[in-house]
Amino acid sequence: MKCAWQELLMILPQRLRGEIDRRGKETLQEVRLRVGQRVELIQSAGSEFLTAEARPEDLSFTVNAASRYSPWSAESASEGYITAPGGHRIGLCGECAIHNGIVQGIRAPTALCIRVAREHPGIGNGVPLSGSMLILGPPGSGKTTLLREIIRRRSQKECVAVVDERGELFPLGGVFDTGPRTDVLTGCRKVQGIQLLLKTMGPSCIAVDEITSKDDCDALISGAWCGVSLIATAHAADFGDLRRRKVYGDLAQRGIFDQFLVLRRDKSWHLERSGYAV
Amino acid sequence: MQYKFLGAALVVSGCGFFGILLAVNCRRETEMLRSLCSALTFMCCELGARMTPLPELCRCAGGHCAGGIRKAFLAIAEELDAQVAPDATCCVTAAVNRCPELPRRCRETFLKVGQMLGRFDLQGQMDAIESARQECERERKELEDNQQQRLRTYKTLGFCAGAALAILLF
Repeated sequence: MKCAWQELLMILPQRLRGEIDRRGKETLQEVRLRVGQRVELIQSAGSEFLTAEARPEDLSFTVNAASRYSPWSAESASEGYITAPGGHRIGLCGECAIHNGIVQGIRAPTALCIRVAREHPGIGNGVPLSGSMLILGPPGSGKTTLLREIIRRRSQKECVAVVDERGELFPLGGVFDTGPRTDVLTGCRKVQGIQLLLKTMGPSCIAVDEITSKDDCDALISGAWCGVSLIATAHAADFGDLRRRKVYGDLAQRGIFDQFLVLRRDKSWHLERSGYAV
Repeated sequence: MQYKFLGAALVVSGCGFFGILLAVNCRRETEMLRSLCSALTFMCCELGARMTPLPELCRCAGGHCAGGIRKAFLAIAEELDAQVAPDATCCVTAAVNRCPELPRRCRETFLKVGQMLGRFDLQGQMDAIESARQECERERKELEDNQQQRLRTYKTLGFCAGAALAILLF
């Protein structure tokens, strides 16, 4: 499975690189660093612990390396994550630095969750490649991986434009195959990005990742009924869950999406159309 | 007698050469400080316009310079790319240690900048670089003030010291 493995190793503390390279090159899904605790590797077969314990300087190093020693290029830290080179997402936990009631960043990280970005060709087998679709699933179920594969397949037949706000779908450097007709806008917020792409890139389909806020929902609504299909992902167990969640209420009611692909943690999926299983 | 004249001439020219060398080094240091100020200005502008990550920022700054300052910036970029050091300060220190030909004032400015790199948000970083640039500019002005007179003094003192030594010895 394709992965920016060297880029991942480069953001890990030097003393851990060798062992993680040996143990996880093909199957590693997550690395968990917690200060004072043994390093945890989450593989496809299960979780295992290394003998080495994570130290505060290990976490500081990883954050520095992921942001290339440039805190100003990692504004997402105020939202609790950094996207490292290669598209690997690093979740941050620790003491928050708060100014005027708003989280500015994490002052001293005490725990990191490094999610390894991999390509899974074939994961989208059988998924419909037309119409608007919302991919639902719990965290870690593979929504972003599936979205990437759907984009690649759809771009074989139509022009797909992607708002890759966090740089995880198609990280710079050509790590993952975008397909022949995909245009990627990286680092731009969804509300601006969707309008930009509609005006300038003439897409047949617009794809975004992780609808998590009302602003994201409004961005999708603003792009709907403009003659383009929409593909997005959201945290929800199924369509019923989506309707119950206040932030998605508007999205669920307006009927923007024809179909809902519900992912489970075991990577299996089923299709629903507006609340009914297909 | 001839050997005495030859010896005296060698002593005078040796000391004179030393004086000239001091003058050349002083001029070189001024030029390097000017180049470093220019590079720091460039870094501020580049950061403000494009929020460039630190390794590229240093590489671009090095591209705008020549000689020892260029070499130092490229060494910093290399250390940052290697991603071995825990923070940017350690990267700058390691890079400066690889450039022994840097004059004292330039070395100190680099180390001061290194203390502040990679620690702040965008505006904070720009303010820190600007502060270092102003300090560098002040040092350059200090060196340039009365530079001509000072260089003449170095050269003259060199030859005079050589002559005095020759008289004493021979």
